Amino acid sequence: MLKTGWMWNSAAVVLASVLSGALPAAAEKLEDQLVIATTGGLMGNTLAKYFYDPFQKAKNVEIVPVAIEVPDQWARAKAMQRTGKVEFDIVTATGPDLVGRTDMLEKIDCAKLPNVQKFGVSDACQPYGVARTTGGMLITYNTETFKNKAPKTWADFWDVKQFPGPRGLPDTGDSDWWVPVAALLADGVKPEQLFPLDINRAYKKLDEIRPNVAVWWKTGDQVQQIMRSREVVMAMSYSGRALAVVKEGIPVAMSWDQAIRDTGYMAVLKGAPDLKAAMAYLDFFYASSDAHVPFMRAVNYATASKSAIELLKPEERNLYATSPENYEKLVKPDFAWIGEHRNELRERWMAWLTR
Amino acid sequence: MMEARRSHFWRSDGRRLSGLSTLLLLLPFFALVAFVFVYPILQLLVISILEPHPTSENYARVVENPVHMRVLLRTLWTATLVTALSVVLGFPVAYYMSRAKGTVAALVAVCVILPLWSSVLVRTAAWSFLFQRNGLINSALMSLGLTSQPFKLLYTQSAVVIAMTHVLLPFMILPIYGALRSIPSDYARAAAVLGATRLRTFLEVILPLSLPGVVSGSLLVFLTAIGFFITPALLGSPQEMMISTLVSKQIREVLDWPFAAALVGVLTVFVTLLAVIFSKTLRFDRLMGNAS
Repeated sequence: MLKTGWMWNSAAVVLASVLSGALPAAAEKLEDQLVIATTGGLMGNTLAKYFYDPFQKAKNVEIVPVAIEVPDQWARAKAMQRTGKVEFDIVTATGPDLVGRTDMLEKIDCAKLPNVQKFGVSDACQPYGVARTTGGMLITYNTETFKNKAPKTWADFWDVKQFPGPRGLPDTGDSDWWVPVAALLADGVKPEQLFPLDINRAYKKLDEIRPNVAVWWKTGDQVQQIMRSREVVMAMSYSGRALAVVKEGIPVAMSWDQAIRDTGYMAVLKGAPDLKAAMAYLDFFYASSDAHVPFMRAVNYATASKSAIELLKPEERNLYATSPENYEKLVKPDFAWIGEHRNELRERWMAWLTR
Repeated sequence: MMEARRSHFWRSDGRRLSGLSTLLLLLPFFALVAFVFVYPILQLLVISILEPHPTSENYARVVENPVHMRVLLRTLWTATLVTALSVVLGFPVAYYMSRAKGTVAALVAVCVILPLWSSVLVRTAAWSFLFQRNGLINSALMSLGLTSQPFKLLYTQSAVVIAMTHVLLPFMILPIYGALRSIPSDYARAAAVLGATRLRTFLEVILPLSLPGVVSGSLLVFLTAIGFFITPALLGSPQEMMISTLVSKQIREVLDWPFAAALVGVLTVFVTLLAVIFSKTLRFDRLMGNAS
């Protein structure tokens, strides 16, 4: 065991020194460790298997995973930056975070991440984050309740005459714009004309659906649970969570029509102690397409790897947000606008929700 | 006379403890409280008035925004309901416990205390299974033909109040039980000898003497209920949001610490005020089972 470990390391060192000729950036000495904060459970374990372990072997950097919910992660990061003792290197960020929390994040030089450029989709590298997993906030519904006619769009979600039964909507994460966006789509606004959001119109439409919302779910586990227990007949759900329920054999299906794109990014915290290792990891993530396929199957989300999605059969491909067919149906949010209007969105949401 | 007595500590043989030993006995406790409670709270209060710059803005926002006042009032209302329900449910149990003897008494006592050994989270989760649309209560009602459509039980104010009462009930029962036990049985006998009916004895002798227990139980339940977090979050809808959830939202999601600190400030002032009023009007020192 020890011996092979040693051989691996020396092989990696040789490989690194060979590569360093071609890529001067890779020649830099990396720090000994790298602290990555992301959700635990399935996501954390699968990342460890397909990305952390190979990275540790290849770069001789010990990865310290921190299992933490995203809101808690930001609260901790904020506390660390306040006290000047930053412990996290890589954190998990949403699209709006990359615009709204730039004061907490390190700027990323995409030119120095050749693998992301080469193997990632065109917008995988952003100034403050690299795309990790992409899904959508979509409609998931019970197929036994809606045997004859299935709901497809947000207008159907709002249509309680044709599709009666209790609904579930999120009260977590980015619900302050996800839900208003769905309301505007239900009211007939065209996806390309969504932004700037007509907030008053959205909340007028939201008043209509409110009596039919039985559950305002707070976690991914909860949205799965209310679909299994039939607490609701349809819900807005993370696509990956819905897919997991579908795979369990529960009579549930999902509609990708007008799903709101939801990408999780890897971002580097300002003041990160292991800055070089962090940047090296971001690039390493896209270095091998082979790891992406089993990773996607395990976590039920697509990565931004161009080549990985093509390795899947068409019917399997369509379970993921990035399949050519689904990607076209996705609603692409204007993160810059959302970032700028975040306080307004949040206050309106809170005021409406607690009324 | 009583005040003077109570301001000192006594040995079991009745001799007074010296000032130094009193200090030594209390020091570890107060040091701990100062370090893990008073210091962080003070630090939060400092943040609330000094950030982003010395200002009263954060407090103005608490008062100006109707959402925050609504959540605060709702928190107080929920706590009031829970306290009232706890008194109504707890008093008979405490009364029974104070009279019962032997195995039955032990059994009731265990039933009251046992829930305290399990986590709030577990008890709350159990309620959510009972309240589900296809949960035990709805299935029972539907199979008995009492209703054809399942009731909406989960994610309502009633669910929150019922589960919170369940969690907090021991804190009501135990002080009342203590107060009832400390009433000498001679009093009831004396009342009976003087010709009082059992009802009159209860209303005019037992009930007034047990009030200190009721008040301290209510105080415990009310103040704990105000800070409740898990139960309203799991069993309520956003409309049942309590002040602690609002604080946590500000800290976790919005990252607006100065404002969250201001909310904590308002709550701290409010709770302190309440405790002071209670202790002044109801003689807090007498409530701790020392009504001799």
